[in-house]
Amino acid sequence: MGTEQRIEHLRKMRSQARALDQRAVDRQHERGKLTARERIAHLLDQDTFCEVDSFVRHSARGFGVENRRPLGDAVVTGWGKIDGRTVFVFAEDFTTFGGSLGRAVADKICKIMDMAMRAGAPLIGLKDSGGARIQEGVGSLDGYGRIFERNVRASGVIPQISVIMGPCAGGAVYSPALTDFVIQVTETSHLFITGPDVIKAVTGEEVTFEELGGAMVHASTSGVVHFVFSEDVAALDGVRYLLSFLPQNNLELPTYFTPTDSPTRTDDLLDQIIPDSSNQPYDMTTLIETVLDDGDYFQVHEHWARNILVGLGRLDGHTVGVVANQPSVLAGTLDIDAAEKGARFVRFCDAFNIPLVTFVDVPGFLPGVDQEHGGIIRHGAKLLYAYCEATVPRVTVITRKAYGGAYLVMNARGIRADTVFAWPSAEIAVMGASGAVNVIFRREIAAAEDPEQRRDELVREYEAEFNNPYKAAELGLVDAVTEPRDTRSHLIAALEMLRTKRESLPGKKHGNIPL
Amino acid sequence: MKSVLVANRGEIAVRIIRTAREAGLRTVAVYSEPDRDAYHAHLADQAWNIGPAPAGESYLNMERILGVAAETGAEAVHPGYGFLSENAAFAQAVTDAGLIWVGPPPGAIADMGDKVTSRRIATEAGVPVVPGTGSPLEDPAEIMAVADRLGYPVLIKASRAGGGRGMRTVSHSSEIEEALASAQREADAFFGSPEVYVEKRLTNVHHIEAQILVDNHHNYVYLGERDCSVQRRHQKLVEEAPSAILNLSQSRELGEAALRIARACEYRSAGTVEFLVDSDGSFYFLEMNTRLQVEHTVTEMVTGVDLVREQLRIAAGSPTSAIGLRADGHAIEMRINAEDPYRNYVPTPGRIVSYREPAGPGVRVDGWVRAGVTIPRFYDNLLAKLVVWAPTRTQAISRARRALDEFEITGLPTTIPVHKAVLDHPDFISARHHTSWLESEIDLSRTEPEVAESLPEEEGVVRQDMTVEISGRRFVVSYWEPDVGQEDRAAKVRRRPPKPAKGPAAASDGAVTAPMQGTIVKVDVKVGDRVDADDTICVLEAMKMENAVAAGREGNVVELRIEPGDSVATGAVVAVIR
Repeated sequence: MGTEQRIEHLRKMRSQARALDQRAVDRQHERGKLTARERIAHLLDQDTFCEVDSFVRHSARGFGVENRRPLGDAVVTGWGKIDGRTVFVFAEDFTTFGGSLGRAVADKICKIMDMAMRAGAPLIGLKDSGGARIQEGVGSLDGYGRIFERNVRASGVIPQISVIMGPCAGGAVYSPALTDFVIQVTETSHLFITGPDVIKAVTGEEVTFEELGGAMVHASTSGVVHFVFSEDVAALDGVRYLLSFLPQNNLELPTYFTPTDSPTRTDDLLDQIIPDSSNQPYDMTTLIETVLDDGDYFQVHEHWARNILVGLGRLDGHTVGVVANQPSVLAGTLDIDAAEKGARFVRFCDAFNIPLVTFVDVPGFLPGVDQEHGGIIRHGAKLLYAYCEATVPRVTVITRKAYGGAYLVMNARGIRADTVFAWPSAEIAVMGASGAVNVIFRREIAAAEDPEQRRDELVREYEAEFNNPYKAAELGLVDAVTEPRDTRSHLIAALEMLRTKRESLPGKKHGNIPL
Repeated sequence: MKSVLVANRGEIAVRIIRTAREAGLRTVAVYSEPDRDAYHAHLADQAWNIGPAPAGESYLNMERILGVAAETGAEAVHPGYGFLSENAAFAQAVTDAGLIWVGPPPGAIADMGDKVTSRRIATEAGVPVVPGTGSPLEDPAEIMAVADRLGYPVLIKASRAGGGRGMRTVSHSSEIEEALASAQREADAFFGSPEVYVEKRLTNVHHIEAQILVDNHHNYVYLGERDCSVQRRHQKLVEEAPSAILNLSQSRELGEAALRIARACEYRSAGTVEFLVDSDGSFYFLEMNTRLQVEHTVTEMVTGVDLVREQLRIAAGSPTSAIGLRADGHAIEMRINAEDPYRNYVPTPGRIVSYREPAGPGVRVDGWVRAGVTIPRFYDNLLAKLVVWAPTRTQAISRARRALDEFEITGLPTTIPVHKAVLDHPDFISARHHTSWLESEIDLSRTEPEVAESLPEEEGVVRQDMTVEISGRRFVVSYWEPDVGQEDRAAKVRRRPPKPAKGPAAASDGAVTAPMQGTIVKVDVKVGDRVDADDTICVLEAMKMENAVAAGREGNVVELRIEPGDSVATGAVVAVIR
């Protein structure tokens, strides 16, 4: 064979590797799903995809699989660019062997993960797979193990994003679960350990795929999923948008965009957002959007544990992670789910050098037997641990309530916040007025002619004395009491001042977060 | 009178605020959202946002403007030109609100705003009008009869026409039907009335207007004329005072005619009566503008009168101080618009990259922009008025040329090149121009614009100027660099992708539960009510906070298990929606 024929042969093999079973492609499209290659094309900048391992084939035997050995097997892997920055990607191909994972598929995924780690670039997994390739037995199972181990090794080094775009069941779910962000598409995908059939057989409970492991269930009830989108292209756009906030790896700073918003912009709305009466809620999302560049706030876990808000935005062009209590849900209290949601986000930001901005309006932890027995102590400690451990710049704005232990958890001065601002509406105290009065003036109230009236008087006195930011300011626990309208410029100035912050934890193997 | 609200924007708002400040008045500006940073808003003592960009929702929003006047305690309202300046209803509303209207009485505005009425008043006052019908016409046959009598070409004109809208020239009877229909359509769209009339279209005429002032002390003052014959599509571009074609007695005759009309309509304040003037000096009444004109500056330059100051004096009830004045010298005004004269005067809103005004002896610039300002596409695109004064017309033309050369505006095309062409043209120099002269004689669309003007618009390229000295001589060298910053941003800034609808699906049994333990303080629905997912069922007080409990799904309230005062536990069912 001459050189020309050899080149011709390569071309033929390449087109063979890309060839798909048209019937399977049509079925994929009928389900409202794109194929693996269509997904990659939409995800990456045009013509930037460099494929790896397109000639890999499985060498399994038995059950007739040895007669079917397609080039590339059931996954497409490679690298490319998103907004000009390198990313690595693997896309499970449901049209080949139902996207099932055999050793060859696992080898390809492991290789691309190793490459991403070496290059220090984000890894994106597009999940659409029937699960382990049963014909290959335990060899296939071992493949998952090798992937999990790499997910963990890469955790905190490069951003890892999983997009659930089809079935993902059984052991397979743990790869996405170990990544930083899980995005799921509604209707066409599901995510569970044991499916409806097994559940019915074991417990007798009847449940549909969507009710058990649909996108909205995971986004709102289980907290497994961070973002929900209604179709493939929207989810892939979501990945691109999410990456626009993130650094390539843990040794880089997050992206900077020339700001389109004025750093000194003030907003009257902030002066008016806190209701005069402290038992009225307000929407913290509006407050955050008013402060951030161009009002862009990309909420993470928008539907789960809505009493705390976490998300990404920019201040003067620099990425920030924003954590805030939401007074209009569960009075803004901290509960088990809120503590976990906050803790995971704080740790993500810390791992990837994203400064943290915390808005505090927290009346306390959510009281209740189920909370106590559910381990609010253990879970609340996670958020506390996460903040204490974070070495990125940490700036706090206390907008209203900051009571007791919950105040400390929300990045208080005591746990080493770098800068703490308080609005004039702040109420920073060890506990609410009536509780405090009951303890301090127990005897005086009991001895009074009209105990209820005396108690009310004392509560009012206590409120006047302590429901403000000035006691805390006296002690240096807040650095400045600021007018709400100026919050944006104060935050930008503080973060600018902290840009050179260097702090490290004592050397250790790793801490022992109360899991 | 201690304070005045200026119900306008752009250069005229700046112009009025300047005089008001000189007069020691407190000034209140109003602005629409895109004008938040406009100069008039900076210059006034107070500035109020009156709504979004469309004029209908801001500068034409009478209620909002009057609201601002009330809130700020402004005593007077100056409308400037355009917008609400010739709106009799607004003048009336201002007066009814107990405020001083800086302008003529509503009756005079209404009378002069209607072409047919104003022609009748002028005729009754013994002032010749352009030959035509004194009443509105609808029937093409009737129009044909009139046109035959007047002789072609004729103009079909909306009764309430202005700014060149609602006007059609007809040069042959066969065009009447179509021109009538389109004039009516346009008149209906722009002025809310399809009424039209017919007048003779005079050709080779000058547009000359008389500036008058009338106070409440029986002073009727004529401040000389202005020649505004350099026009394109009936819009003035260059104005001068005095007119080069009238002698003193002709000018005085014109002024007397204007004052007769002012008497007939019981006019007060500053006003302008427009005439068309033949080469032999015979003149015809065209219309009266019951407000300050854009080109009032040239009258100010030759008479030394501050017309805005006079308007304010008259509005406050004082006699005018502009009595017994003599005009001196010659003044020319050039309107610098954001328009591309090389492309048929298409408006070119955009961002001004650099801006430097001319100065020096005899130069006045009434403007409002500076480098970095974005010209909104929603309004008139007048950037500045360049006004020059000199002892003679010839000297004024030289001075105008010099000032135009100094004027530097980059970032968007302007009318500066067309002004240069006008000033250099022998017809203009010898005052042989007329109202359709510019359109027929000065056509820049066939010439190439200066390269430096348009290149900075190119994407990804920035023009840089560098001053160099070669052998002791100074040169300016321009070069172009790729705009790295811009390119990066275009490639990188991404919009947030669309997200699916908010909120998880409600529990399938439609049970609404208490999110936390607390006390019901308010119940918002009754059994049988229809509710949306976002509607509040009840308000629960817990942790000293009122929590709204939402329905969570659409449906009817079939069961309500709580009433105000009830304590509920976490997860307790408060209502059932089906």
